[in-house]
Amino acid sequence: MPSQAPSGYWIRTVRWCLTVAGIGLTLLSAQAQTVLTVAAYPAVDEIVRAAIPFWKKAHPGVDIKVVSRQLNDHHIAMTTALSTASYLPDVMALEVGYVGRFAQGGGLEDLSLSPYSIRQLQGRYVQYAFQQANSRKGAVVAAPTDIGPGTLLYRADILSRAGVSEAAMTRSWDSFVDVGAQIKARTGAYLIAHARDLKDILIRTGIQPGEGLYFDDQSRVLVRSPRFVRAFALARQLRLQKLDAKVIAWSSEWSEGFKRGTIATQLSGAWLAGHLHNWLAPNTEGLWRAAQLPEGAYASYGGTFFAIPRGTAAANKQLAWEFIQFMTLNRDMQLSAFKTQDAFPALVETHDDPFFDQEIAFLGGQKARILWREAARRATALAVHKQDAFAEEVINTELDKVLEGGKDIFIALGDAERLLTQRAKR
Amino acid sequence: MKLPALLRLSPRFAPYALLSPFVALFLLFGVFPLGFSLYLAFQTWEPTGGLRAMEFVGFDNYAFILSDEWFWKSLQNTLWLALVSGVPQHLIAIPLAYFIHSSFKRMRNAVVGAYFMPYITSTVAIAILFSSLFSTDYGLINAGLRTLSQLPIVGGLFSGNSVDWLNDPARIKPAISMLVFWRYVGFNVVLYLAALQTIPKDIYEAATMDGAGRLQQFWFITLPSLRPMIFFGVTLSVIGGLQLFEEPFILTDGRGGTDQAGMTTAIYLYRMAFDFNDFGAASAMSWLLFILVALMTWLTNRAFRSPEARSR
Amino acid sequence: MKGTKMKTTTTHLAPWAAYGVVFVGALVMLAPFYFMFVFASHSRSEIFNLPPPIWFGDDLLVNLSILTQKIPFWRNLGLSLYVAVISTILTLLFCSMGGYAFALFEFRFKNALFGLVMATMLLPSFMNMIPTFMIMNLLGWIDEPRALYIPGAASAFGIFLMRQFVASSIPKDLVEAARMDGCSEIGIYWRIVLPLLKPALGTLGIITFIASWNNFIGPLIVMRSPEMYTLPLALRGLQNPVNTEWGALMTGSAIATLPLIVLFILSSRQLIAGLTAGAVK
Repeated sequence: MPSQAPSGYWIRTVRWCLTVAGIGLTLLSAQAQTVLTVAAYPAVDEIVRAAIPFWKKAHPGVDIKVVSRQLNDHHIAMTTALSTASYLPDVMALEVGYVGRFAQGGGLEDLSLSPYSIRQLQGRYVQYAFQQANSRKGAVVAAPTDIGPGTLLYRADILSRAGVSEAAMTRSWDSFVDVGAQIKARTGAYLIAHARDLKDILIRTGIQPGEGLYFDDQSRVLVRSPRFVRAFALARQLRLQKLDAKVIAWSSEWSEGFKRGTIATQLSGAWLAGHLHNWLAPNTEGLWRAAQLPEGAYASYGGTFFAIPRGTAAANKQLAWEFIQFMTLNRDMQLSAFKTQDAFPALVETHDDPFFDQEIAFLGGQKARILWREAARRATALAVHKQDAFAEEVINTELDKVLEGGKDIFIALGDAERLLTQRAKR
Repeated sequence: MKLPALLRLSPRFAPYALLSPFVALFLLFGVFPLGFSLYLAFQTWEPTGGLRAMEFVGFDNYAFILSDEWFWKSLQNTLWLALVSGVPQHLIAIPLAYFIHSSFKRMRNAVVGAYFMPYITSTVAIAILFSSLFSTDYGLINAGLRTLSQLPIVGGLFSGNSVDWLNDPARIKPAISMLVFWRYVGFNVVLYLAALQTIPKDIYEAATMDGAGRLQQFWFITLPSLRPMIFFGVTLSVIGGLQLFEEPFILTDGRGGTDQAGMTTAIYLYRMAFDFNDFGAASAMSWLLFILVALMTWLTNRAFRSPEARSR
Repeated sequence: MKGTKMKTTTTHLAPWAAYGVVFVGALVMLAPFYFMFVFASHSRSEIFNLPPPIWFGDDLLVNLSILTQKIPFWRNLGLSLYVAVISTILTLLFCSMGGYAFALFEFRFKNALFGLVMATMLLPSFMNMIPTFMIMNLLGWIDEPRALYIPGAASAFGIFLMRQFVASSIPKDLVEAARMDGCSEIGIYWRIVLPLLKPALGTLGIITFIASWNNFIGPLIVMRSPEMYTLPLALRGLQNPVNTEWGALMTGSAIATLPLIVLFILSSRQLIAGLTAGAVK
């Protein structure tokens, strides 16, 4: 070989190596610099943060940044960001109450389309939760990560002092109220915190297909239907018999009611047991039990979803989707969120985990998770309407007038219907 | 020190130069949002759909608001609250300022300071504090009332029952008024105190020598001299009262209370935008409120400008 | 002579009663603060006891540690301070210049412009949320402190106050005389008008500082990361509809209020003194 050739050869080799190294470094650095922004609120932010180490094992080049705000502030910030399609996170956590609103708006990616094709995974999620994130037009805007199966938590000791059984209480809503009267007469405790709670669950029973809670899919107002009449009537009866403590959920009077045992039952999501245990009424450990909602009702209280904003950078969307799958379809992640933050998993395949068969000390050793698992299976999704938040307010106002001011139920519902019809089509 | 020629302004251009920083910011952060909001009042907009989701609807939003029961209810609430929380503020702040001005020398700062303190707290801090204070069973205000009702003579004025301040529609308004009064009376005291300082002492001395009593001096000297400041203070109270938002927001947790008894127009506006996601209607409402505030401000202006027509 | 004798006896009682009322009133004004500090030293469950605690407890340090664990509290405090100080300086500068211009000069569109400025005071501020966000986004100021202190400098209230004060306490002849003496316009502003405005500057300064310190909607819109929050927003982070850390929240609120209290105590003497000086014209 000529003496020039070796140096030329080496120069070319070195240049080639440098180029490859350069490309490699660029790729690596590009990978290392990918940051996914996840916007959330307490306690979802904790769940996400706890998942980060595990995520990084599977995706070493992708960092997760959690932006956390208080629940309401978070949703306001998300509304603002969506309104201008800027400063959007890559993954957005949404509470169930807001999913409906955001679904109608069209600012979130439709996960039923490719490349997400979430409908292929539909069966892996708890059905009602999955459907909750469907928009009117059939788009799936979010994936559920945790749910709040409805349950009846009651003080077993108060019931036994009053000489009534759980079966009698849950047979029907009427018997529920009757039991309440006996509890009041024999122990002095109130049946429930507020008659409104009873109304809330009763209007969710007997919903026909094609109907939402307050409106149907043609935006007709449904508040004069029998379920509303029954809800109001039963609530009024409850109040007339002085069976509710007239305290609003999460107020200090409410938590005191639990501590002192003046409230015998609470209709709520399964997660309430955790709160009662942690801070609401830890002194009542062992005295509570869980039951299914009376009269075979199944409802849901709360739940969290993850969504991808449409305005997010296209490059991040695939990673965002992988993250969502990681959080919602990974058995270990779902179970660890359950165990640490009491977030009931929306992933069906976790429901056979032995954790569900564990005895819950706070509930006197009851294996309540089995109950809740069943409730989750049977709950049905509610079609949402843009004016739901307003309708809820109107109905609550009318109920107060019926309970406090003795207003006639049919007039009250008629007034509500009038108010709602005016805005149903907005 | 002679400024370089560049900085030497002629009196003609001086106002423009002096105003330019303010105007620049104002155009950007004051006028643009104003214009945007005006534009939005004629659109229907669900914000999460992004900017393209706006649709022109003409005066539909205005028609809707004007026929909305809740809007009129909120106006009633607003006017009630503005009056009941605003009028006592001035009725008490003026004599209080006068008394502090004339009778406190060394303790003046401390006393004024005590009254001004509520003004400096943040909404977030007040929220939790007053929700706790107004709590029906566990609040200190009810505890205080209960104690008062057990006193020998005045006890009869107070019933021994707990008042449900936050949930009873008839009580939420007084609760809000109390909070507003607590927060702003000191602010007005400071304003009036400042104005009182500008009244020369000689006038009072001359009046005393003429045999005028303290009450007469107050009525005929102090009050007329305070007129500009009363105008300023009342204008602020009118504007602030009609736009009342923070205090009802705090006590009703952003919702306006049972039967919307605590829902001022500003709160309804906020809810319309962020709870019911109807930004078009919210913008229309904010402009209707604007018209109302402008009207009331103008009326206040008229009331204070014509000396003969001053009614008491 | 008879008249004055009667007056002295009646005025003996009245002042004492009046002093009493004023003192009781002052205590009522201060009571909520007292309870804020008391609650700050109690744990969450103690605060909601019946009856609520009226004396200090011993959980202050516990609350403080919860506070600093959950949010970058000291950084938020520092940020609040930084934003408030710069906001105050800018507002005082721009509004005094503007108020002076409106009060003592004649120029085209003066009344229309002032009317427009006043008009913005009549619109609720949260309606500005989305347009403000749009602008900040465009300027690239999201998550930057300047997004907080720059917009506020164009305060309609500030310019209103300044105009009132300039109009009522600075005689036009003074300005004319200075002009004839050869003083530059800037010089007139800086060396004559500004010193005379001290009381108004003091008042506006305090009000601006307080407003900036307590501003919560502004940071909600433009700040994204918890490290860039100001105090009110940071404290909101402790509020959970379901599981609020009341004790830590009270502690945080108490600490957040302290600088304002200190500021007011320090400046009130000067403020009142400044006002008194204004009376001796």
